[in-house]
Amino acid sequence: MLKCTINGVALEVKPGTTIIQAMSENSQKIAHYCWHPGLSIAGVCRLCMVEIQGNPRVQIACNTTITEGMVINNTSDKVKEAVKWGLDFHLINHPLDCPICDQAGECGLQDQYMEYGQYDSEMAEKKQKKHKVVDLGPTVVLDSERCILCSRCVRFTDEVSKTHELGIFNRGDHAEIGTHAGKKLDNKYSLNTVDICPVGALTSKDFRFKQRVWYLKESQTVCNGCSTGCNVKVHYNKEGLFRVKPVYNAEVNGHWMCDEGRDTYKFVNKEARLLKGSKYSNKAWQIDLHSGAVAKETALNLKEAKPEEIGLVLTGQHTVEEYEAIVTAFVNFYKTKNIFHWINNKDSFDTFDGLLLRGDKNPNTKGLLQTLDKYGITSKWTDLEDGLKTKKIKYLVVAGPENTFVYPDLQSKLQLFSQAENFIFLSSARMPALESYAGDNKISLIPLKTYIEKDGTFINAMGLAQKFKKATTVVSEALTLTEAAALITGQNINITETPAENLFIATNKRPDQVQLEHRKKNEFVFNRGRL
Amino acid sequence: MAQETKYLTEFYHLPEFKGIEGYKKNGGYKELEKALKLQPQAIIDEVKASGLRGRGGAGFSTGMKWGFLPKNDEPRFLLCNADEGEPGTFKDRMMMERAPHQLIEGMIISAYAIHSKKSYIYVRGEYDQSINTLEAAIQEAYKAGYLGKNILGSGFDHDMDIYRGAGAYICGEETGMISSLEGLKGQPKLKPPFPAVQGYLKKPTIVNNVETLAVVKYVIRDGAAHYKKFGTEKSAGTKLFSLSGNIIKPGNYEVPLGFALKDMVYELGGGIKAGRKLKAVIPGGSSAPILNAEESEKVNLDYESLAQAGSMLGSGAIIVIDESNCMVQCLANLTHFYHHESCGQCTPCREGTGWLDKITHSILSGKGRMQDIELLLKISDNMKGRTICALSDAAALPVISFVTKFRDEFEYFVREGKSKVKGTAYKGTSHVEMHH
Amino acid sequence: MSVMKQKQDSNSWYFLDVLTGLRITMKHLLTNLFNRKKMITLNYPEEKYEYSPRFKGNHVLTVKKDGSIRCTACMLCATNCPAECITIKASEHPDAQVEKYPISYEIDILRCVFCGFCEEACPVDAVRLGPEWQTPGLNGANFIYDINHLAYRSNLKGGVQSILDDQDRHKAGI
Repeated sequence: MLKCTINGVALEVKPGTTIIQAMSENSQKIAHYCWHPGLSIAGVCRLCMVEIQGNPRVQIACNTTITEGMVINNTSDKVKEAVKWGLDFHLINHPLDCPICDQAGECGLQDQYMEYGQYDSEMAEKKQKKHKVVDLGPTVVLDSERCILCSRCVRFTDEVSKTHELGIFNRGDHAEIGTHAGKKLDNKYSLNTVDICPVGALTSKDFRFKQRVWYLKESQTVCNGCSTGCNVKVHYNKEGLFRVKPVYNAEVNGHWMCDEGRDTYKFVNKEARLLKGSKYSNKAWQIDLHSGAVAKETALNLKEAKPEEIGLVLTGQHTVEEYEAIVTAFVNFYKTKNIFHWINNKDSFDTFDGLLLRGDKNPNTKGLLQTLDKYGITSKWTDLEDGLKTKKIKYLVVAGPENTFVYPDLQSKLQLFSQAENFIFLSSARMPALESYAGDNKISLIPLKTYIEKDGTFINAMGLAQKFKKATTVVSEALTLTEAAALITGQNINITETPAENLFIATNKRPDQVQLEHRKKNEFVFNRGRL
Repeated sequence: MAQETKYLTEFYHLPEFKGIEGYKKNGGYKELEKALKLQPQAIIDEVKASGLRGRGGAGFSTGMKWGFLPKNDEPRFLLCNADEGEPGTFKDRMMMERAPHQLIEGMIISAYAIHSKKSYIYVRGEYDQSINTLEAAIQEAYKAGYLGKNILGSGFDHDMDIYRGAGAYICGEETGMISSLEGLKGQPKLKPPFPAVQGYLKKPTIVNNVETLAVVKYVIRDGAAHYKKFGTEKSAGTKLFSLSGNIIKPGNYEVPLGFALKDMVYELGGGIKAGRKLKAVIPGGSSAPILNAEESEKVNLDYESLAQAGSMLGSGAIIVIDESNCMVQCLANLTHFYHHESCGQCTPCREGTGWLDKITHSILSGKGRMQDIELLLKISDNMKGRTICALSDAAALPVISFVTKFRDEFEYFVREGKSKVKGTAYKGTSHVEMHH
Repeated sequence: MSVMKQKQDSNSWYFLDVLTGLRITMKHLLTNLFNRKKMITLNYPEEKYEYSPRFKGNHVLTVKKDGSIRCTACMLCATNCPAECITIKASEHPDAQVEKYPISYEIDILRCVFCGFCEEACPVDAVRLGPEWQTPGLNGANFIYDINHLAYRSNLKGGVQSILDDQDRHKAGI
């Protein structure tokens, strides 16, 4: 261990640590753009200036390794002046189109300017014009004028995704980021470039212009896109969820996540969700039923059934706690061991691309298998198919997948399940295919909560158990599988439901011309006092 | 009457010196034979003792540079920097065209000293003739057994290749050159690691200027002590200077270091054209700070004296400017050059060179503001020493020296909207406009 | 509010003050009787008072030279609005020069407090509070003004142009 002093604080660091690493690990502030802990050192933004005792010139912190007894500071006037000018060089040709820039609010230039800049610009010459709204590929849009050429995205495609699509073209202040001839920025990790872009040069097509970032709250969770279980944060407000971004976890995903995982917010939003319970019996649908009521009725039905007539199908998309609850309910209460594991993509189940993406598109297959193991369940999928064909299984409870996009066999499986006389489908996703069902069997649909809306644990492919907390509620009436298990066994639970409408208006019948919707939207105003 | 000291350039007047026969007739490849019998370390020590300093611009001790090579890390590469891009410099070109074997021999000796089995000569793309001459010379050397396997029976193998640059000034910077040689965009690399530790293909690499490598042969021939007799105590040896500008006899002149600049201009150079007065001299290529007439009368051409005078020896390109030149226009030429040549990697240089260029041209077009003069200094101050390579300094130093030493001309231009010297405004289309 | 009463004799001589007050009334009565043109009272709604252009009345969305809407949908007005009466939906414009524009811009005029913060927040002079001050409407009328109303209502005669245009800005290198 080496001893050094940074801004008067004595530190001990490992040999080989650069100054900027030491500073960021010890939460000292330092301006920087091009340095990123997950990428190689470029040393081009020249912003992370520090003064080292005994050296008359200011140095960059990202390429200077700490030596024994080094005394470093980045708070002297000399450093401040250097950083201020470094910022000015970044900004002289910046278009300052913050109003239409998606990055505004989380922009490195804005932040650093407020922190280290705050001067009157002396630039009186014409700004350099470059390309705007360049379509780099299916996911990313480039604005060269906003780009500060920190080369993070280029290094990402060279070092992490190893797809080498991006490069810096031309020289001097004509230099621009671009894709190599004939190539598009089209890889499974392309949106990481948007995350690491410190300015608004690279924007995500998916999120572009959807929301201003200051309207969004963020909450940390675990991605349920595949069995890697990347740590992510979701950005949401009352209108729904808008994007997913990675959170650093050295053991799981490092700094990155895949593009597929970024779509996992889409099936959480109301448009894709089953909002209310419904029931099909006697060839007619009863819709808009309370989910709890449907579940309770299921309990009454199941209690009449013999254990061998009951079956339960589970996917790897729920939490360990939920599996525990529902499997106990069926094994101990209904005394059945007809519990089946629905595997969605058999062929690619064990594939891995070497970085993050796994073929198993369920976040918690390991957790499910562990629970099944614990209860000694050995039933095979063919048992279920036979049971349904021979009408041995009459009551089938299925906890369907949240992310139906990765279940290509969904339709065929639904057809299979609806062969059961009583098919109870617990699902977070809307099921248009079932809604048009017109057979003789009975179907109950009970809305489930998604991973965003509950606490729980996922065990990823490496066997790492990761706990996560509820971020927000999208469908308040939906049940977690634990709640559903309790109701299905005939217990009572308390569901706290946020009222959909203002109760005051409901009693006071005067129709209001003012739509309530947009009153709820503007959360920034509520936070204004604090911001 | 001051005279040239023809040490390196002794036989340059002979057309036959270009070919291997003529070269051998005049003492060529004798030193190679001698060197191959020596221990490599002995050569390094000899070069160190000679006080030879890099002739490319930085003036770093060559022997010391070679000493930085990590032990037992092979392969090692020797790179000859013949990307002579510094405005005003044309000495390497003459050396390559008149005496290619001198360079090749120097390189083989150097390569032997540093255990390098492969060397490249990175030649500036525009130097067609140099490339052709070198190409032919290398073929001759291969045929004569001076290159290839088991050179002269010593068991030392060496291959040499030419790499043609594509005209970027920045590829004359050693790490920029290495990037270019690796097939990457010609951009300097972060230091540390230095090329001597991690250079071409991440292997130890020594990059030396044409003139430096050629001198190695003479150090071996005459010994370090003899070489040290030339020049001053700290700046040993002779050096080729490229004299250009408003001078009667422009050209390359070889003089010992410590030679008076005044003698260079008035005696070797034959004085200023049309009897005009000397106004300023840029003593070491366009990146060196300018000296006004008074300073240039006093200064000597060696590393220390020029550093003391606030400038540098650089690559030894002496640009003479007489009183008929407008300094604003001269500076605008320089800022345009650096704007064009900045590789765009580091922000202060990428944006700063463009900004300087735009300001000088707005002054030229009569739209300058008084605060622009101060601003030029502020920008240059903050470009200096803030980037990976020295291009930013190279762009900033002339601006600082021009503006401080000829401030009245800049102020006059801003105030009156026309040149103090020429009495006219800048007429041509500003290239800044052209870019839009 | 408490008022300290001064017990002085002069205070009881109010008769003189009554006459002073009546003097103004009499003045106006006589002016109105004999000089109808100077009469202050307007016969609303046949006659309407024209406020100064700086009056903070109903909102106007300004337009560009080509008549398209100036607003870039930056949502700063919506963010700044204390009454939360502005709703904007942004979208990608087919013209890359424009890039972002509002496909819907709605002001709930009944919630609006006419504070003018939206005007102040706007970086491109796209929203202004104009001199119009009437917001009448029958029961059930739509008081949520959309782009058609805010920018192109008939009395704006094809839209109000902002002084600074984008093209001028580009030319100036801003």
